[in-house]
Amino acid sequence: MLIECFRLFYTFIKLGFLSFGGGYAMLSMIMSEAQSFSVSPAQFADLNALDMVVPGAIAINAATYVGYLHQGLPGAIAATAGVSLPSFILTVVIMRFFAHFKDNVWLTDTLSGIKPAAVGLIAAAAITIAANVLILPGKNIGDLRINPLGTLSLACIIIFILTAIFNLRFKVNPILLTVLAGVVGALVMA
Amino acid sequence: MKASTFTFAGGLAIVPAIERDAVEKYQLLTKDEFMEYATLSQTMPGVIALNCATLVGRHAAGFLGMLAAGFGAILPAFSLMVVATVLANMVPQQGPILGAMRGIRAASAALVLSAAFSLGKYNLKSGFAIILMVAAFLLVVAGNIGAPLIVVLSGVTGCIYQRIKRYRDKRRSDAN
Repeated sequence: MLIECFRLFYTFIKLGFLSFGGGYAMLSMIMSEAQSFSVSPAQFADLNALDMVVPGAIAINAATYVGYLHQGLPGAIAATAGVSLPSFILTVVIMRFFAHFKDNVWLTDTLSGIKPAAVGLIAAAAITIAANVLILPGKNIGDLRINPLGTLSLACIIIFILTAIFNLRFKVNPILLTVLAGVVGALVMA
Repeated sequence: MKASTFTFAGGLAIVPAIERDAVEKYQLLTKDEFMEYATLSQTMPGVIALNCATLVGRHAAGFLGMLAAGFGAILPAFSLMVVATVLANMVPQQGPILGAMRGIRAASAALVLSAAFSLGKYNLKSGFAIILMVAAFLLVVAGNIGAPLIVVLSGVTGCIYQRIKRYRDKRRSDAN
């Protein structure tokens, strides 16, 4: 228990120090680490939906969620403390030593590599989640290779495509789209 | 302690909310100072909203101000998320509710994908950026490499590439 909480703390403090560029970039990193805390991609999809309705920074919500699923309340505290600590440490360090931190050439060079890579990481997270949630209940992702058509859920795929189109092309509010997807899912897939 | 008033910002601690309260309501700092911190909080690693809160807190009331502002930003998000997680786990996953959950998860995957698209529009403006994006994607999906390692590698690649580019540009302009 204590060891697992420490592992959560350590993992999330590492993610905190490495995450540049906001919520979704960090979310994709948390997902890549979450499997070692037995959080499945489907649970991660739930997290993303919860994130939209629960106010607060995405990364703090995500740390709390993964920590809670893995080790209950102590785990949630350990993960949240881990993801938050870098902000406190860096604030002290930056305000003391780097008057022109944001103009630092090393930093802008490093970010020129990390920002595009973060896009790839988020896309990879989306594909991993999609592969795991667009299949029929009772099937698992290995069945995709053997019998793709009998494994995939047509209704889920249509919801997936329509949500992406309505959000990207028509800028429909994500919360509204999520609620609609839930209603359609309850009616069609009951 | 002036900065304990910060406990407000929490929950909805998105940058504009901090600005409204810290700059306009409590006048802890000027708008220009705030803009400086808002940019900085996006450049430094970590949670952006939290970075912004700790920087402003530190500016307004020193170390204790930083702690107060930081905890003010963390606690509402943390406690609401614990409640939401507990409630979500109590929902029975069968019948129409399972159908609704499956619909929500499909939508959720699509929204993560559209986040990648909209971020890509701003960050993929050169061939170098596109190669890095594709490489990061393939390494995670096919190579099974952890995201933190990819972040470190892409940062190093960015450093090396920009240095080579500046060196080449300089030689080219010297030659002319």
